[in-house]
Amino acid sequence: MCLFVAIPCLRYSTVFELLEHTSDVGILARGQTREEALVSVSQGLVSILVDPAPFRPLEERHFKAPGLDEAAQIINWLNEILFFFDTEGLVFVEFEIDSWTGDEISGRARGQRFDVARHEFRTGVKAATYHQFENHQTPDGWEIRVFVDV
Amino acid sequence: MQLEKIDDYRWLIPKTYKAGMLTDALVYANEQLLETIRRDQSLEQAANIAMLPGIVGRALAMPDIHQGYGFPIGGVAAVDEQHGVVSPGGVGFDINCGVRLLSSNLTLKEVKPKLRDLVHQLFRDIPSGTGQTSRLDVSDSDLNQILEKGPRWAIERDMGSEADLDHTEERGCIAGADPYAVSARAKQRGRPQLGTLGSGNHFLEVQYVDEIFDERTSSQYNLSKGRIVVLIHTGSRGLGHQVCTDYVAQLDEAMRRYDLHLPDRQLACAPIHSPEGQRYLHAMAGAANFAWTNRQTICHSVRGAFKRIFSEDVHLPVIYDVAHNIAKFETHTVDGARKRVLVHRKGATRAFPNQAVFIPGSMGTASYFLLGQESAMRETFGTACHGAGRVLSRSAAKKGITAKEIQKELESRGIIVQSLTREGLTEEKPEAYKDIETVVDVVHNVGLALRVARLRPIGVVKG
Repeated sequence: MCLFVAIPCLRYSTVFELLEHTSDVGILARGQTREEALVSVSQGLVSILVDPAPFRPLEERHFKAPGLDEAAQIINWLNEILFFFDTEGLVFVEFEIDSWTGDEISGRARGQRFDVARHEFRTGVKAATYHQFENHQTPDGWEIRVFVDV
Repeated sequence: MQLEKIDDYRWLIPKTYKAGMLTDALVYANEQLLETIRRDQSLEQAANIAMLPGIVGRALAMPDIHQGYGFPIGGVAAVDEQHGVVSPGGVGFDINCGVRLLSSNLTLKEVKPKLRDLVHQLFRDIPSGTGQTSRLDVSDSDLNQILEKGPRWAIERDMGSEADLDHTEERGCIAGADPYAVSARAKQRGRPQLGTLGSGNHFLEVQYVDEIFDERTSSQYNLSKGRIVVLIHTGSRGLGHQVCTDYVAQLDEAMRRYDLHLPDRQLACAPIHSPEGQRYLHAMAGAANFAWTNRQTICHSVRGAFKRIFSEDVHLPVIYDVAHNIAKFETHTVDGARKRVLVHRKGATRAFPNQAVFIPGSMGTASYFLLGQESAMRETFGTACHGAGRVLSRSAAKKGITAKEIQKELESRGIIVQSLTREGLTEEKPEAYKDIETVVDVVHNVGLALRVARLRPIGVVKG
C-alpha cells in the first residue's frame, strides 16, 4: 500500500509515502536535500501516530540526534519524536534542521499537545529501526526509507 | 529459499544456506503455514540469527513466525553463557511483552447479562496510555523499586497477593536488575504508563472456557466448560521501548569495538560478559520487572471492575503470567552436556514441562491454554509459540471495512468490543492473523506443548 502525501512545511518541500508489509509500517520520504527528506520522514512518522491535520506549531522543542553515521543520526532524530509524544503528548507538525554535522543533527520541532477528546490517535509506535533502512541521494534529490515497530 | 523437509512439521535451513551461519535454523510449520511464512523475510531473518556469535543448538522459528526487526517474531536463539552475545533485538522493543490469564468463580451464564457494563467498566478503569496517563502515583523511588523487585512493589501496596507472584514466571522478578542501567529517558517515558494497556495488538479479553482437552490439568486450575477467564496482553510500555532503543544504539557502536559483524544492524549485540552486554542485561531485567508490575496493576484494576459490576465475592486468581519477549539464563542439555545458556525468545513463550502456556488468537477468535512438555526441553530450549502471527498488513486489514462494521459483526457473535481507536479494531480484525487452530495444531502435534483448554472471547478492550 502506498499513500503519497505532500505537505508544505515552512521552507521545505516535503513528500512521503507509507509502506506496509505484514507487521511492518515503513516511511519512504523524499526531499530535494537530505534535510528536506529528514523533515518528510519526520512528518511521515507523525502521520502514523495521529491525524496531524488539526495540530498547530504552538510549542517548540530542541532535538539533538548524535550518531556514528547518518543512519544512526536519522534513527535517533525519529526516536526524539516518539520520546516527546510519549512523555509530553507533543505532536510535532513543523521541523527545522539547524545543523547536520558528521556527529549530530541539531534542530527544532514545533507542535501541540495531544488531547484524547479532540484528536485522533492512530497507532502507537515503539521505535524507528534499522530494518531495511535506506538513505541516499537520487537523481531528483534525496530519499530516506525507515521502518518503525508499531 | 530451499528448505529441507524433516517431517510434516519440521523444516531445516541448513547452515550451508549462506555464509556466516554458525548452525542450522529449524522452522516449525506445516505446509499451509509455510506458504504464508515464505511471503515475508522471516526465513532470511531466521538464517541471520544462526550467525549470532556463541549460538548453541539450532536457531529456531516457531509456527507463528513473521518478519520482525533483526530477529523474526517467533525466533529463538540460545547462546553460550561464556562465549555468546546478547542482542536487544532478540528481546524486542516491548521487553517482557507477555500474557497473564486470570481464572474466576463466575460462569458465562452469570456474566452475559452484565457483559456490556463489565466491558465499559474495564475500558474506563484500564487506560490505554495515549492521552490517558497512569492513575498510579509513582515517585522516583517507587520506579527504582519497581525495576528492582517487580510486582512485589504492587503487592506491598495491596494491589494483589503473594499467590499472584507464585503464579508468575520468575515470580515477576529477574534478579540483577539495576535501575541505574535504565536511562532517565526510559524512566520518563515509562512512568506515566504504568498500569496502561497500550495500543497495537495489546488487549484485555473476557473469555469463557469453550472446550476442554485435558480434564486433569483443567480441574487443577479449577477450569470447566463455561468458566469465565480474563486474558491480559501487554508489556513494558515506553520504558521497555526506550531501553531497547538506548541499547541498540550503544551495542551498535560496541560491535565495532568487539569486531562483530552481522548482516542486519538491528541485530546489534555485545559479548554477554562485556560491560555493554552486562549493562543491557541489567536494564532489560529492570524493564521485564516493570512489565510484570504493569500486568499486576492492570490485574488489580480488572479485579476492581469485576467486583463493582458483580460483587465483592468475585475472585480472579492468576493462572499464570508468562513473558514472550525476553532473554533469560537457563540450563539446557546441548550436545549431551548440561550447559548454561542465554535464551533469547522474541515473540516466543517459555514452555517448560507442566508450565502453563497461552497462545492468544486474533480478536474474536479463540485463544489456547496449553501445557509445556518435556519434548520442548529437548528440542526448543523449552519454548513454544506466542500467538497467531499477522498475515495481513495493517492497511490491507483496514481495506473495505470500518471499525463500526467490525464492532457490529463481533456483537452479532456475542462479543462486545471497546477500543480507544478505530485502528485498534480495523488493524486487528480476526482475518489479519493466521488461523490460530493451525498454529496450535503444529505446537500440539510436535509435542512442544499440549492443548488443555480453548477460550473464546465475549468482551474485548483495546487501546
